Amino acid sequence: MNRQMPALLKPFVMLTYVLLLAPLAIVIAVSFGASPTYQFPPTELSLKWYRGFFGNPEFVRAFFSVSLVLGFLAAVFASLLGVTAAIGLVRFRFRGREALEAFFLAPLFIPEILFGAALYLTYARLGIKPSMTSLLLGHVVVCAPFVIRNVMAGLVGLDPRLEEAAMSLGASRVQAFMKVALPLIQSSIISGFIFAFIISFSDINLALFIAGPNSTTLPVYIFNLLLFEGDPSVAAASTLQIVIVGLLIWLVQFLFRPRALL
Amino acid sequence: MSTAPRRQRPYWTALVLPLALYLVVFLVIPFIHIVVLSFYTHSPTRIWTPELTTANYVGLADASFLTVLLRTLRLGLFSTLICVLFGYPLAYFLARAQRRVALIGLFFLVMPLMVSAVIRTFGWLVILGRNGLVNGAITALGLERLPLLYNETAVVIGLANVFVPFMVLPLMASIERINPALEEAARNLGASWPATFRRVILPLSRPGLISGCLLVYSAAISAFVVPMLMGGARVRVIGRQIYDQLLISYQWPNASAIATLLVIATTSLAFVVLALMRRSARQEQGA
Repeated sequence: MNRQMPALLKPFVMLTYVLLLAPLAIVIAVSFGASPTYQFPPTELSLKWYRGFFGNPEFVRAFFSVSLVLGFLAAVFASLLGVTAAIGLVRFRFRGREALEAFFLAPLFIPEILFGAALYLTYARLGIKPSMTSLLLGHVVVCAPFVIRNVMAGLVGLDPRLEEAAMSLGASRVQAFMKVALPLIQSSIISGFIFAFIISFSDINLALFIAGPNSTTLPVYIFNLLLFEGDPSVAAASTLQIVIVGLLIWLVQFLFRPRALL
Repeated sequence: MSTAPRRQRPYWTALVLPLALYLVVFLVIPFIHIVVLSFYTHSPTRIWTPELTTANYVGLADASFLTVLLRTLRLGLFSTLICVLFGYPLAYFLARAQRRVALIGLFFLVMPLMVSAVIRTFGWLVILGRNGLVNGAITALGLERLPLLYNETAVVIGLANVFVPFMVLPLMASIERINPALEEAARNLGASWPATFRRVILPLSRPGLISGCLLVYSAAISAFVVPMLMGGARVRVIGRQIYDQLLISYQWPNASAIATLLVIATTSLAFVVLALMRRSARQEQGA
């Protein structure tokens, strides 16, 4: 540790982390309690709220058939669009390149509630019924910037001489890219894909506006139950979300060391 | 940098065009539509009629909306200040920590950010609720329960907690760029810690600080879930107003006018952030 840091810094940082993580820790603790109210600390341990979660077909549907599927599909489409766009932005110089990059990253800066409202009104005007597809189309917009950021960071850090070497040995430019550069930025693509999945999986603001009755996502279902004070199976569902997101972030951070987190 | 300019046939259009077209259809057109709708006339029977009017904007100058607007801006300001208070020391710590410590610290910062805001708010409901952690401790001491939820303080706590990573990440990037030798030099020349902070670290980290503040502020004034769950009916904010007018009272032109103003406010803030990030990236390349 840097000995020049003031003595109070470390305890204050610890306090900040406690405040930051307390809500998550408490949700996890409540999910393992036996009390039918949100009791903390739990007086006895039980798995009954997990049984409650898996015994509720609407919860299971929101989790497995909607949120997981949606997150996966959003990540696939965001990666297809995002990886190609990132290659175009890094590997070519053209007029308006910086403006185009800003345009591609714009969804990061637009509040999701406004984007949700805008999509809701557009769908309503065109007579498109809210469904999983309509929600997916919106999620791809907000997920793509995370792919672009990760892949651009990977490409910028790549030594162009590697591809030049391949080309001097007879590979075409496209071949050199596919066989040399692409495998080297694999980890950036995977971390972009994982971030895209998480963004869709955790999204609530878009889903509140454009999820239909048959495409209620897990966060929306949790939100509705919290408004009407449901039982702690909400905590069990939340814990599953926390565990999945935590594992994925851990995977990205410790396996791939992403250079573009935000 | 790494890639030399290549003047070839425009392959790049084939690469960037799919996403560009996608964003035009699913991002640009919906926002243009919202602006158009904000000038339409409200109709109680058909929701809107395409007669142009500025009534939706003029109508916003009434007392009840201004109360909501001022409250939203105030809550945004307070949560931003709290994020600076807690975020700055954390950002400095992470920027100067050893690599291993920084990685773990970053994990516990990014992980909560990526968990749905609903779940993080849920945790605060358990802490601050009527039968929650704090009130449990208070009643155990034989005191009266406190109304901790459903007021502006609760919303500020929730917002600050949810958005503090937006403050820390750009700030951390900014502080990392400051050469530690500068701090050591100031210290060796006899500057106290507060003086070193005020005269060296703070001025050099200003781009990150401003970016962080704007990101937090823009997220806080457009928040919906946190004010809804922690503020209840009493703490109405703009996000809630838009949601209710769209999905409950079907006042679409009116809601579009509010949304348009909020889009203008938040995108102007975003432009400043982007410009600042570009500038500090260029400075680093130049250095």
